[in-house]
Amino acid sequence: MRRIISHDDFSNGHCGWSQLVGNYEDDLDTMLPGYAQHTSAMLSTLGHWDAGSHGGYDSSYALKVATRPRAGAQNVAIKRLTTRHRSPIRFEMYFTFKPEANELKLSETDVRSVGFLFDLQGGDQDNDSERVMPHLRFLNAENGRHLQKWQFKRETTAFRKIGTEDKTESHYHLANDGWMDLPDGEQKLCYNEIATKVNWSYLRFDFDLRSMKALEFQCNDRVFDMSGFESIRIPAMKNLWCMLNFCVFAETDTAKRTFLYINSVCISGDF
Amino acid sequence: MLPENITAVIARNETWTGVSTTEPYEAGWAREVVMFVRALKDPVGDQKTASVEISPDGMHWMQEGTDIELPKRKNEVSAARISHFGNWLRLRATMPDGTSTTVLVTVHAKA
Repeated sequence: MRRIISHDDFSNGHCGWSQLVGNYEDDLDTMLPGYAQHTSAMLSTLGHWDAGSHGGYDSSYALKVATRPRAGAQNVAIKRLTTRHRSPIRFEMYFTFKPEANELKLSETDVRSVGFLFDLQGGDQDNDSERVMPHLRFLNAENGRHLQKWQFKRETTAFRKIGTEDKTESHYHLANDGWMDLPDGEQKLCYNEIATKVNWSYLRFDFDLRSMKALEFQCNDRVFDMSGFESIRIPAMKNLWCMLNFCVFAETDTAKRTFLYINSVCISGDF
Repeated sequence: MLPENITAVIARNETWTGVSTTEPYEAGWAREVVMFVRALKDPVGDQKTASVEISPDGMHWMQEGTDIELPKRKNEVSAARISHFGNWLRLRATMPDGTSTTVLVTVHAKA
């Protein structure tokens, strides 16, 4: 779109993509387990034991989000901005994913999912303010079944109070339940023929910050109908005005690390 | 252009017993790293050392040669300076029976 809000290609740093840390008060033990498992994103050349560095699309480096080696483990990287203008915005990235190549097998069903989400809230003077969280994930596999389809989510888990001062609460919106199939959302992505060969895929998600509705979603050669898409919507929170957060996440289906690699992210707006 | 410099948390509020390691961390772009360990709670039992490990692939590990004294009490910090590590780093501790520690391990990497 007309205005580039940020363009990150990870050839000169993490570009503000940091670890999604959970809320806590007084003691880190109060952090929800879903967040406690998160670790810091890395800059990687996609170095493989059998072929060396794969490299990025246009530089040596990509952002790497790695899960722990435990079935169902997740990890998230986040970029935190605020809104200057409520307009349509566009999120684009080149991404790929693989399991850790610790077996001489294709391992195409070891990655459960990779995806992204926005975490949005209107301004403090707006009349329609809600916290709106569009989520999309590519459900690659579950319980060994190679499903390969896009899903969205419209409900989060219940909020829990954190600590005793009534200032902080938390919800784990990436829980594995509540995901719904995007209509006609089946898509076979290029996975390639051994665990260390990767191919970059293109993704584009257009979202209108005025109506807080999805406009269009594209992955590689497919453009999906978003008329059946819904976001998680919850009442506005007292300290998140104009929030404009972007997250990317990975989830493993087996006791093997899943790696999500982001070559580049471009966020633009129609203003 | 200022050189890249990043702080990464590679273990947060993790309680180590027996053989414990941080998750692998890639920092091939960095020439030097300082790795800090802070005890978030009072450790249980005598605290020994943890070993810095390096790897060619993030899967096969060997000792780099640097050890870090594990903190003896809550909020004590220990550290090691590391260079020429290639790409992969992690910290490994073997906690004797009956001992444990809850740690925050951070990597401070500089290009």
